[in-house]
Amino acid sequence: MIAPEPTPPFHIPPIVTYAVPFFVLTIIIEMIWIRVTKKGRYQVEDSFSSLAMGFGNQIVGTAFGVAFIAAFYYWVYQHRLFTLQWTWPVAVACFFLEDMAYYWFHRIAHERRFFWASHIVHHSSQHYNLTTALRQTWTGAIGFNFIFWLPMMYVGFPPAMVAMFSSISLVYQYWVHTELIGRLGPLEWVMNTPSHHRVHHAVNAKYLDANYAGVLIIWDRLFGTYVREDDKEKPRYGIVSQLGTFNPFRIAVHEWAGIFRDVRSARNVREVWGYIFGAPGWSPDGSRKTSALIKAAWAEQQAAAVPAE
Amino acid sequence: MAEPDPVTVAEGSAAVIALMLGVAWVLGFRQRAKLDDDEVARLASAEGAHVEVSAIDAKGRGAVAKLTGGKLLIAKVMADGVSTRVLPEGQARVRLQKHKLSITFGDLGYPSLNIRIDNPPAWLAELGARP
Repeated sequence: MIAPEPTPPFHIPPIVTYAVPFFVLTIIIEMIWIRVTKKGRYQVEDSFSSLAMGFGNQIVGTAFGVAFIAAFYYWVYQHRLFTLQWTWPVAVACFFLEDMAYYWFHRIAHERRFFWASHIVHHSSQHYNLTTALRQTWTGAIGFNFIFWLPMMYVGFPPAMVAMFSSISLVYQYWVHTELIGRLGPLEWVMNTPSHHRVHHAVNAKYLDANYAGVLIIWDRLFGTYVREDDKEKPRYGIVSQLGTFNPFRIAVHEWAGIFRDVRSARNVREVWGYIFGAPGWSPDGSRKTSALIKAAWAEQQAAAVPAE
Repeated sequence: MAEPDPVTVAEGSAAVIALMLGVAWVLGFRQRAKLDDDEVARLASAEGAHVEVSAIDAKGRGAVAKLTGGKLLIAKVMADGVSTRVLPEGQARVRLQKHKLSITFGDLGYPSLNIRIDNPPAWLAELGARP
C-alpha cells in the first residue's frame, strides 16, 4: 500500500486570493502614474475585458477547474515512484522543476493550437499593463493545461507543494505586466522581468515566440528562446490577428470555435491533426501565417537590408 | 485561519472590478481611435497591399476597403486601437441598407462590422447585391 501524501508542516493559504488587495492597489497606482506621466496606456473597455476574464477564471476555477485538476493530480500521485517529504531540499527542487514545467507548458501553449486556444486569451489585449496580467483563460482545465505538471506528481512531489509553487509563480508573474519598469540590472540575467515579458507579449516579428519564463528566465536562455528587448524596437502588443471584440465570452472561446470551424472543413485526417495540434496559423495550403513563417519573412527582409560587404 | 467563502470572494471581486473601472473612467482612459483615408491606407500597406477604393464610417469607427489583389480590408476601431481583417471578397457577407453597412464573416473573435456610410459608393452596393 502506498503511503499517504505527506502533510505540509504549515497551513498553505490561498496565495492568489490573498494577493488580490495587492493587485487592486497596484493597478490603481499604475493608472494614476500613467495618467500623470503619460507613459504607458490604459483603456476602460480593455481593462473591463481583462478584469472580467480574471473574474471568470476564478469562478470557473472554483466551480470546476480545481476539483478536476486535483483529481488528475492525485490519480497520478497514487502511482508515484517515490514519496518525497516536505523538506527544504525537496522544496528547492520542486521550485525549480515547477518553474521548468511552467516554461514547457507555456512554450507549447504558444506552439500548438490546442493549447493556444486557451492561452490566446492572455495575449488578446492590445494594451500591456497590470490588468493584462489578470486576463486569464476560462478553459485551461478542459484544455488539459495541467498535464505538464503531472510528471512531478509521478516522481512523488506532494501535489500541495506543486500547487503552492504554481500559485507563487502566478503571483510573481503579475508585476512583470507593466511598461513602467525598465531593465533591472543583474536581475535580468536570472529572473523574468517586465522587460523580458514585454518581449513575450509583443507581436513584432522579431519578438514572436520568445521568453516563456515564469519566474526564472534561465529556461529561455537554456532552451534557446530568449530574446532581449531592443530599445530601438518598441513592442506592439496583442495577437497577430487582433480581436474585434471586448466581449469576455467571445474572447474566452473564439479560438476553440475557430478550431471547430476548421476541423469541419478538413478533408482528411492529416488536416484534422494539423488544425488541432499544428502551430497556430497552420493551414493545409500554407495560406495562413504561422509565427515561424512571419519570423522567417522578417529575417529574410533583415538579411536583404544589410548591404553585402 | 478559515478559508474565504467563495460567494463572498466573488462578490468582493465584482465590487473591486467596478472600483477599478470607475477609477479608470474618472482618470479619463476613454480615448477613441478614428479612421480616415490615411489610416486605412497605412493599414493596407501593413498587409502588403494598396487601397483601390474605400468607404469609411461617418464617425470614423470602421472602414471597408477593396485592396489590390481582390481582397477586402475590414477595419474596426477598438477603443484607442484598431483591429483589421483581410479576406477574399467571397468570404464576407455584405449587407447595405440605405446608409447602414453590415459585414459578417465566420470569426467569433471579430463580430460583424456595423457602420454608417453617408454616401455609399456603387462598388459597395454591388458587393451587397452579391448572393
